Amino acid sequence: MLNEERIILMTRMASFEEHEGKKNMSIGSYFRSDFIGLQIIKAIIYATLAFFIVLAVYIFYDFEVFMTDIYHMDLFAFAKQVLVYYIVSVSIYGLITYLLYTVRYAKAKKQLKVYYGNLKRLSNLYDKEGKRQV
Amino acid sequence: MKTLLVIREQLKGIYSKYDIYITPVLKFLMTMLTLSLINSKLGYMARIDKGIIVLVASLVCSILPSNIIILVAALFILLHLYALAIEVAAVALVVFLLLFLLYFRFSPKDSLVVLLTPLCFGLQIPYVIPLSMGIIGTPMSVISVACGVIVHYLLTFITDNVQAFDAMDTDSELQKFRYVIDGILDNKAMMIVIASFTICILVVYMIKRLSVDYSWTIAVVAGALANIVILLVGDLALDTNISIGLMLLQSVFSLCLVTILQFMVFNVDYTRTEMVQFEDDEYYYYVKAVPKNIVSKTDKTIKRINTPKRNPVSTDKEQVHREAVKAGTDAIRNAEKRSLEFTEI
Repeated sequence: MLNEERIILMTRMASFEEHEGKKNMSIGSYFRSDFIGLQIIKAIIYATLAFFIVLAVYIFYDFEVFMTDIYHMDLFAFAKQVLVYYIVSVSIYGLITYLLYTVRYAKAKKQLKVYYGNLKRLSNLYDKEGKRQV
Repeated sequence: MKTLLVIREQLKGIYSKYDIYITPVLKFLMTMLTLSLINSKLGYMARIDKGIIVLVASLVCSILPSNIIILVAALFILLHLYALAIEVAAVALVVFLLLFLLYFRFSPKDSLVVLLTPLCFGLQIPYVIPLSMGIIGTPMSVISVACGVIVHYLLTFITDNVQAFDAMDTDSELQKFRYVIDGILDNKAMMIVIASFTICILVVYMIKRLSVDYSWTIAVVAGALANIVILLVGDLALDTNISIGLMLLQSVFSLCLVTILQFMVFNVDYTRTEMVQFEDDEYYYYVKAVPKNIVSKTDKTIKRINTPKRNPVSTDKEQVHREAVKAGTDAIRNAEKRSLEFTEI
């Protein structure tokens, strides 16, 4: 016999699994520190790529001047300056990523908690019907 | 108002029923419009400036996720710019890469705004974007809208300076490169528009959240006014030659359009029909969950029946008729009387 309440619950859960659930479950499979750490590593890689693209554009913009100056300038000081800019920009981007993904992790966990609550309810419904196969 | 509400509910019903067909059609139309605008505005590469290419690309995009439309549009732009000058294409590629690397990985849903912003500029309704994003977005939408504005001004700068690029010496690649970068960084009009859109989004977002009556309407009107004021102040301060009449006209038109959108789209939960599959120990379930419509559609026509009032003219006629009948009867009686008297004599 079909139980209407159970089918409605299962449909809602299946719909959740198809939409937000996919993303949330992958987030939920990580520990908080692992998930945020992974995102920060990704952010550092992306920020590094973006930084070097901007640096390349900066050098290419005044390429002739840069090539004539390269023999006179203090390369060590230039590299130090570039490194400082790099660390500052990557740190800011990393911090934004940390804050954003902390919020996202908390949100995903909250939604998953509701989902697991529904699973428990579903299990109870099966028990009530006596359909549980042991 | 009741009619509008019913139309809205009917639209909602149609969408929830035929969502599976409507979404691809909308994607198809959006891709078609975007690519046609890109081709008409840029159109330097003859190979892709063809109706059939646009049609095929639109058909492909209609069945793929909406973010693919952005990639296709970016590809079309880059190819056209490559045909114009490789340095110009390189600058555009750098802008697109920076947008992708730094922002879109955070909010892929918002990336459609980057496409819609230049599209609305092309359709002469740019202020729809900040007003709409203030209503449906978050303060983070400011970044997406700013990216869209940058893309629009980059393309406008390039199309406005095609002759300058042609006039430049073919050996001076760096000159073209520098010219485009200067064109983007020194674009005061772009900076003012970014500032005004940012403030507009924040104003609409903050007012919309207040717990006062008509907060959405107040938010949209306040946002449009803030936008106009900042554009005017920016124009006065930086002398950007913004056409004030056109701006006011576009603002009013955008305001009307956003009000309609607010009523028909933003304020309505277009819940879609869900088709899900799952199983338990006994059955396989193929469930189609159709959302309930709250307001019932009125297909009935109301017929008003009034009891007719007594017409004073007809009363008079009746009286005349009665009098005439009475007079007639009297005349007959008199005639009969007279004839009897005559026979007696």
